[in-house]
Amino acid sequence: MCDLILRPRISADFRYALVLVTSLYWGSVCVAQPTQYNQQIRPILAKHCFTCHGLDAASRQADLRLDVRTNAIEFEAIEPGKPEESELIARIESDDPELVMPPPDTEHQLSSDEIQLLRRWITQGAKYEKHWSYVPPIKTEPHKTPTTWSSHPIDGFVIDRLKEVGLKPKPPEDRLRLLRRLSLDLTGLPPTIEEADTFAADQSPEAYEKVVDRLLASDAYGEHWASMWLDLARYADTNGYEKDRPRTIWRYRDWVINALNQDLPYDQFAIEQLAGDLLPQPTNDQILATAFHRNTMENDEGGTDDEEFRVAAVKDRVDTTVQIWMGLTMGCAKCHSHKYDPISQKEYYALYAFFNQTEDADRRQPTLPTPTRLQKEQIATLESERATLEQRYNQDPQGFPQAWTTWNSQFERHPLWFPLVKSRFESKHNVTLNQDDQGTLVATEELPDKDIWKLTLELPNDKPLTSIRIDTFPKLPGGKWQDKNVALRELTIELLEPGKDPVPLKLVRARADFSQAGWEVNKAIDGKNRAGWAFSPNAATPHCAVFDFETAVEPRSGQQLRLTLEQEYGNGLLLKSFRISASTYPSQWLMAELDAEAGLKTIFRQQIFPATKALHTQVDAKKRAIAAVRGGIPSTPIMRELPLTQHRETRIHNRGNFLDPGESVSGGVPSAFGELPESAPRNRLGVAQWLMQAQNPLTSRVAVNRVWAQLFGIGFVETEEDFGTQGTFPSHPELLDWLAVDFQQQGWSHKRLLKTIVSSKTYQQSSATTPKQLKIDPRNRLFSRGPRFRLSAEMVRDQALSASGLLTQKIGGPSVMPPQPKGVWKSTYSGDQWKNSTDSNRYRRALYTYKKRTSPYPAMLTFDSGSGEVCQIRRVRTNSPLQALVTLNDTAFVEAAGALALRMETSAQTTREQIANGFRWVLIRHAEPAELDRLLQMYESLQEELADGKSFLQSAGRSEGDPRLVAVANVLLNLDETLMKP
Amino acid sequence: MNPEIESNRRTFLRQTSSGIGAIALGSLLGDTAKAARPDLPHFAPKAKRVIYLFMSGGPSHIDLYDYKPVLVKRHGEELPPEIRGDQRLTGMTSGQKAFPVCGPIGKFAQCGKAGTWISDLLPHLAKRVDDIAVIRSMHTEAINHDPGITFINTGSQIPGQPSAGAWASYGLGSANQNMPSYIVLLSQGNGKNPGQPIFSRLWGSGYLPSNHQGVLLRSSGDPVLYLKDPPGITRQNRRAQLDDLAALNQLKFSSSGDPEISTRISQYEMAFRMQAAAPEISDLSNEPESTFQLYGEDAHLPGTYAYNCLMARRMAERDVRFIQLFHRGWDQHGSLQSHLRAQCRDTDQATSALLTDLKQRGLLNDTLVIWGGEFGRTAYSQGKLGNGRDHHGRCFTTWMAGGGIQGGVSYGETDEFAYNIASDPVHIRDLNATMLHCLGIDHERFTYRFQGLDQRLTGVEEAHVIDKILA
Repeated sequence: MCDLILRPRISADFRYALVLVTSLYWGSVCVAQPTQYNQQIRPILAKHCFTCHGLDAASRQADLRLDVRTNAIEFEAIEPGKPEESELIARIESDDPELVMPPPDTEHQLSSDEIQLLRRWITQGAKYEKHWSYVPPIKTEPHKTPTTWSSHPIDGFVIDRLKEVGLKPKPPEDRLRLLRRLSLDLTGLPPTIEEADTFAADQSPEAYEKVVDRLLASDAYGEHWASMWLDLARYADTNGYEKDRPRTIWRYRDWVINALNQDLPYDQFAIEQLAGDLLPQPTNDQILATAFHRNTMENDEGGTDDEEFRVAAVKDRVDTTVQIWMGLTMGCAKCHSHKYDPISQKEYYALYAFFNQTEDADRRQPTLPTPTRLQKEQIATLESERATLEQRYNQDPQGFPQAWTTWNSQFERHPLWFPLVKSRFESKHNVTLNQDDQGTLVATEELPDKDIWKLTLELPNDKPLTSIRIDTFPKLPGGKWQDKNVALRELTIELLEPGKDPVPLKLVRARADFSQAGWEVNKAIDGKNRAGWAFSPNAATPHCAVFDFETAVEPRSGQQLRLTLEQEYGNGLLLKSFRISASTYPSQWLMAELDAEAGLKTIFRQQIFPATKALHTQVDAKKRAIAAVRGGIPSTPIMRELPLTQHRETRIHNRGNFLDPGESVSGGVPSAFGELPESAPRNRLGVAQWLMQAQNPLTSRVAVNRVWAQLFGIGFVETEEDFGTQGTFPSHPELLDWLAVDFQQQGWSHKRLLKTIVSSKTYQQSSATTPKQLKIDPRNRLFSRGPRFRLSAEMVRDQALSASGLLTQKIGGPSVMPPQPKGVWKSTYSGDQWKNSTDSNRYRRALYTYKKRTSPYPAMLTFDSGSGEVCQIRRVRTNSPLQALVTLNDTAFVEAAGALALRMETSAQTTREQIANGFRWVLIRHAEPAELDRLLQMYESLQEELADGKSFLQSAGRSEGDPRLVAVANVLLNLDETLMKP
Repeated sequence: MNPEIESNRRTFLRQTSSGIGAIALGSLLGDTAKAARPDLPHFAPKAKRVIYLFMSGGPSHIDLYDYKPVLVKRHGEELPPEIRGDQRLTGMTSGQKAFPVCGPIGKFAQCGKAGTWISDLLPHLAKRVDDIAVIRSMHTEAINHDPGITFINTGSQIPGQPSAGAWASYGLGSANQNMPSYIVLLSQGNGKNPGQPIFSRLWGSGYLPSNHQGVLLRSSGDPVLYLKDPPGITRQNRRAQLDDLAALNQLKFSSSGDPEISTRISQYEMAFRMQAAAPEISDLSNEPESTFQLYGEDAHLPGTYAYNCLMARRMAERDVRFIQLFHRGWDQHGSLQSHLRAQCRDTDQATSALLTDLKQRGLLNDTLVIWGGEFGRTAYSQGKLGNGRDHHGRCFTTWMAGGGIQGGVSYGETDEFAYNIASDPVHIRDLNATMLHCLGIDHERFTYRFQGLDQRLTGVEEAHVIDKILA
């Protein structure tokens, strides 16, 4: 029974309660009992002795270790069986300030109870045990004492403890309350009245199980449980430090929701998030999962060293990984070997070495395009529609060949393009150009470094010219210039007429079959010499560019065109062999990518022949639609391993300082928790496999404890974040282990685990309590009644929206901005603004609310949700006046009251019925007559008291109706019972 | 409180004097005790409350407090490399080819009976130097704002730790039944506008229960978020609603027996009182004209530093435990001359007015006032000579005054370039230890168990109370 002794050191708030529990059993019961190292002795040694006589060699005094039995005996600190001969006892009992331990200046002092325990322990042989959580869990049988209460294993363990303290379990909770509890626990939402009535009416033995299955299968399940995971993953929509710029990573949030809804086994869930990118042929979704560790903060502040914040992020990943999966705090070992838990500084950096090999470095990259399911479906549909249309388009419909022949014949007289004939050529460097009978111009000399050419061309004077075209042909290998690219930086054209000033002609709509990145063809006519048209790395193929005259040129006799070709980039990047042509046809026929002759049929098909033209327009529309969807695909930061050759060397950071590197270390895992599996790769994937292997004593315990805490408000191990030697001892060690092993045996199924727990009678007990019970089990650590505690920040909001009928049920998508008071966001150095949604996004579930780390959504912060800056293992529940102000006055809740009142108003004839209905939508159970009386009395007295009901209605988002009902609804949403899990 | 509302026919306390009302009232009074640690204070406190004037951005110790004639003499000369040493510089000046010494932009004089050196940029404070203890040997490891400001406010460069104010709230609870124990006010100076951002982490509660996080007293809209009842709801309406709510909750209590219900009722009652108390704090209609002569006309304008100083005094009068002003704009990378002067103009009068005012009301005896930023600034110029100064964590100046602190004291010295500490270094851990000491708290024993560790504001490394400045 002494394992009930929970040392009162969690927090002052809880001390009183714990002292009450412990004091009941202390003393008389324990005197004759054998001492237990893990529960009783280690905590004393850890608290008072291990700092100087423990694992950390650097701070170890006198070379004495008290955490290792042989060392302690060798040192004569402990003489098993003989406390009087044990130096340990002599020292802790000494009056001599020179000798007494712990030294007076440490301000550690052992109580006489603690000293007595240590004496008894030594008398009994000073037996050491491995810390309980470092020994793999074993499934033991419950029911030490027979009971008729329940055959459920959980109940067996629970009732054993209840009997020890003389408590009986509570009867089952009222069915409607129970359903509300179950719905809130599994989905974060209350049930509907229809669901409640169905359940209440279903007297079959499977009724409860059916509901459990239905809730576990609902989409809302994944949304609800994602909230807990997102706290752990320190998910947020901004970078965190200083400027706190926006970050697009919501696809990761949706991954979590989906993974939970698919019931991805917990081991796979872990492996994909930690190392999905390292799996063989990973799917896009598995890589997306690695955004988990890209939730670390980034610093965009001016003058920062990226490496400093990359290192901080990697450390955060190590700490978070160990926190989430093993419930241990690695943080201490950054600076020195852990003083209480078996993790040396070297082991810390060995684990760090595995995480130190990703590409990211305090910047957004690398990212992965991560289309949503909807986007994928849209693209697939559009692509298939496009393919069908294209197929039809490529077939020659009836009448096509004849029409084509007719249309094509016009080009025999007037070709689409005709080469222009050179009349004069000027070069600053004496280049000469020869023209062959195809119209091709060839520079004969070795090209100069740079040059400006003026090329005058004859103009045929029959038809208006619409466009001009340049064809370039590859340069032959050899010669002075290695680079065969061309850089036409600027092209200008003038119209020459004898006796007149040259008239500049404006060119528009430049297009080319290919342009070099940064050297797009339109830059050749932008009036600037900085860049122009070039075609590296495709210089070895012919290219073509087309420019339209802004106004068609109507040539008159004697006129000429003068082209100025600015090619002053240097390195001989000049045209060598090219042709200038002109066209008299509509410019939309003149496509640079089309070969001048063969392209005609394409033009005819696309633009002339009605049937194919129509199809072409449709294909084009599909292409544009596809491009639009693709353009909206979010990119998500992901983990990407550096190539082996670029792996970073990892060195210990002396005293945690990255600027003070010490000994070099290679990847490894803390040896106290088992080796890397033999088959595991030596990288993050190996770490993930090591965490999830069955021998890992902590992983499954930590996981089930966390889930239990969500349902019961407190875990078996209250310090969910610390399963190490400094953490609290579990209230029900055998039950914790039973669940931990069962979880693994059930294939790490989160849904199965939940079903197991909620199927217990322990869970289904009434939450009502009595003074006697409160005295013996004040915090329900023994589960002597059903869980009753305040809803989470998310549930408080979601419930109000759901009960009032406002809730928008939409899974996933970018984070949203429900109403938030003006001025909460004061973004500096950025235009980021909080814009209250006015569409359906105003009423989305809380988990979709945009989370800015430096300024989290205040209503949720008030209800203990975090900022997402670091991994949050549990939220400490508070009860504050500011919470009252939120649910009374926040727009979201006032609007919910307005909507709820509207529902009430239209649901029945009499006010009493309307109020009764409202009560049910919020609390699911039926109101007691006394409750209805009170609410009705309130409603009636408001007749004279609510002077400005119209304003109140408006603030509740209503233009007409009964403001008194809104006031009643406002109260309903603020009832203690509403805010609590029943 | 409006007597009409008090005597409302349905006021639940009267109506249910023998029922849950009594319980609620009991727990209401118990709440402050519950929020506070029973083992605190460790010894008799000299200060009951703190007013922390946080100067965000890194005010220049060189131009304001740390007088070095050598800097004047060698203005424009290269800072000797042996002085600069291997200090880590920010990316903003690490690439500079030259590091010319830049003398202070104002003139220094010795002031007060103690002869404390102070710049003429702070003429008002110069008259109050005998009330303050100037610490010229502050230092921090951080060189960028976010880590720096997080460090000094939470004791760690890495986010996730509770702020100093949250620690004080957690440890000592509230002495005011109507207001939160930790209140934060923000203002922006004209020096560098906008100054670098500040964020809720700086007054966050970290792993402590979230009711200890700082509550922002806003200068526009509701003074406290969600404070105002919806339009159309009068105080009487709200009173009546709360009475009904309490009565219904009482019904629930009788069937469920959960004592948390009475806590909930008491929290709603405190919310109701806060709705009156918070606007009352910012209602300056009863302040005499002399107040505004003292603090300056800006004190009429919500959101200014002067206004916030006046608010701080009003909250101190009402026993708010920890009052923290964040004033932005002290980040003078450029426009040193004009921007630093503007910062001083915005703040000097009000800061010293606050000291004067607290003193004349007898509040300075038990109110600890702290003035300081996250780091100092370099003795060398950022950019061309006289343009500005980069961040400097190796030394900077902070001062303390009031409850527990000796006035007219200077502590710690820097070298002749105000670049390195010459004697009596004070780490920001030491500053926090000293602050807690004034509140009657031994920083080593004031711990909170989290992640298997006894966490504390001063962290795991050694920290020392600065005995020599204690009264």
